[in-house]
Amino acid sequence: MEKSELQFGAASESHCGRCNPNSILGGIFSVLAAGFLFYVVPTHIEIPAHMQHPLLSPRFLPQLAGWLVLALSILLMIDGLVKPPKRTETDEFRRGVPIVRQLLMVAAGVVYVLFFEQLGAIGSGVLACVLLFLASGLRNLWVYALAIVFPAVVTLLFIYVLNVPLPPGTLWESLSLI
Amino acid sequence: MENFSEVLTLFLSVDNFFAIAVGVLVGVVVGAIPGLTATMAVALALPFTFSMEPVTAILLLVGIYKGGMYGGSITAILIRTPGSPASACTLLDGYPMAQQGKAKKALKTALYSSVVADMISNIALIFFASYLAKIALNFGPPEYFWLICFSLTIIVSVSGSSVVKGLIAAGLGIIVSTIGLDAVYGTQRLTFDNYNLMDRVSFIPLLIGLFAIPEVIEFYTSRVAPHIRTAVSGASLTWQEFKGLLKTIVRGSLIGVIIGAIPGTGATSAAFISYSEAKRTSSRKANFGKGEIEGVAAAESGNNGVAGATLIPLLSLGIPGDVITAIILGAFMIHGLTPGPVLFQENLTLVYALFCGIMVSSFVLVFVGNAAIRYFSLIADIPKTILLPIVLMFCIYGAYAVNNSTFDIGLMLAFGVLGFVFNRTGIAAAPFLIGFILGPMFEDNLRRTMLISKGDLSIFFRGPITWVFVLFTAASLIFAIRRYWVARKEDALG
Repeated sequence: MEKSELQFGAASESHCGRCNPNSILGGIFSVLAAGFLFYVVPTHIEIPAHMQHPLLSPRFLPQLAGWLVLALSILLMIDGLVKPPKRTETDEFRRGVPIVRQLLMVAAGVVYVLFFEQLGAIGSGVLACVLLFLASGLRNLWVYALAIVFPAVVTLLFIYVLNVPLPPGTLWESLSLI
Repeated sequence: MENFSEVLTLFLSVDNFFAIAVGVLVGVVVGAIPGLTATMAVALALPFTFSMEPVTAILLLVGIYKGGMYGGSITAILIRTPGSPASACTLLDGYPMAQQGKAKKALKTALYSSVVADMISNIALIFFASYLAKIALNFGPPEYFWLICFSLTIIVSVSGSSVVKGLIAAGLGIIVSTIGLDAVYGTQRLTFDNYNLMDRVSFIPLLIGLFAIPEVIEFYTSRVAPHIRTAVSGASLTWQEFKGLLKTIVRGSLIGVIIGAIPGTGATSAAFISYSEAKRTSSRKANFGKGEIEGVAAAESGNNGVAGATLIPLLSLGIPGDVITAIILGAFMIHGLTPGPVLFQENLTLVYALFCGIMVSSFVLVFVGNAAIRYFSLIADIPKTILLPIVLMFCIYGAYAVNNSTFDIGLMLAFGVLGFVFNRTGIAAAPFLIGFILGPMFEDNLRRTMLISKGDLSIFFRGPITWVFVLFTAASLIFAIRRYWVARKEDALG
């Protein structure tokens, strides 16, 4: 929260140009809220056969929240049209970021999501750390040694000190069987 | 006497003292690193507490909370980057002091003001929480319903620069909280036939995703910022100077206690009110903003006075006063405990053991804070390029540990992306979390009330307590609407 409150103030007015970000955001939320209210709720929340009162309905709270989001999104859209956006320093800082840096970050996320159980906590941790260090353009070899040391230490800490089980890696288990 | 010995037996364990020390240390360190927040630290520490005893677990988190409150002031003083909004007030005089070569004096003032305020706040917690809990024993579902309605109004205060966006986030949080099996009818709600979602969305992946992952994504989608090195220099705080500041510190602490006990008002406003009050009554008011030591003391005592007091509504009513106490509420639930009056009836020993630990944490802060001042340059000089991959690893391990499921890792990253989108579009993540936590409480109490009254709506106004909360809710809403219009006017003017 702390960071967000400070940063968000600047970020909220960061995008400028032909389109007003608040209006776009309000528009997107309005469409999503309408889709939620008129499609998702009726198809994905069943109403029980014997319901004593409408306020007891499983749909009541989701619908209430959905209408709240819809109404406020429309308000945001109108608000965005009335108030012109401003450019901030934060916006400048986000320009010119190499695409490789962002792709390597996504790759690290993919490693964790798709290969966490196959490579194990240590294996995926090492691989993801290396990818992220590469994304930052680090060249010192000792830093890459940290990419091996940290996942190993943290995994062992979780498993043996905190008794929190983490996957050892099905791939290594299969290889050891061979 | 028997209870007292039980409390001591429960509290006097190496684990508890270790948890407090580690918690405060982690809090100070994380708070002292620009860009990392106490909220993130508490969220990341939560999975570590699974195998701990409840008292140890909660003390660890409270330690981080308290350490983080102080840690935020270190960066505010040294590099003009507040670790938390509450520390923003500290930089008004702290940073000019550092520029004048009085960084050490400013840091020591911040530390001792924080510790004194923290102790006063803890004493208030011990005295008022049990008293409030006794009153809360008279609450039934309608009273709780209105109490939660009142608590939902805290969303306005944590909405950052846009109340409308904050309310949208809260609405989304409420929608996400309804995913899973319906508590009354057992029907599926928004599960999309995915069995991983039948038992609601897991709290920890959501929490870590919203508060830790966006920092990582933000870092890798922005240009690398130059690393700022820091220095702690100058003379220390003398006893005479500290004595001269005591009045300001006690006043700031009391302001913090009063503000902290009201859900949603927060440490930031306490710090600024304390600061303006000190400025108003000071003989050196002209020096405020130019490196006045009293300004640092007022700001820090105001914001740390809140720390213990925010636990008053949490422990006695089960209502989180801010985001960190919302996370601590989650920790209670994970350990099978429900904060509120029943906790005082059924787990009184545990509550008093917690009080003991919370008091001890203030003393620990003195030692850890002093060490942090001495070794600060080492702590703050860890570059984010090394730190954030490790933070991400902790996030992943923590999310996986909840159910030993990679689904939770995906869920956490999805909430991380949502948090990042929130960041970029100026939506505060805190209302989302508050909505997620209070949504089910709102629904439960609404339904219980309707079942008790067999559909008679007059039960919502059945007695003086309900009316008190109705009035509180109305007043809070009026205040929020007024704040919204004032902000709009100010925006239009300039």
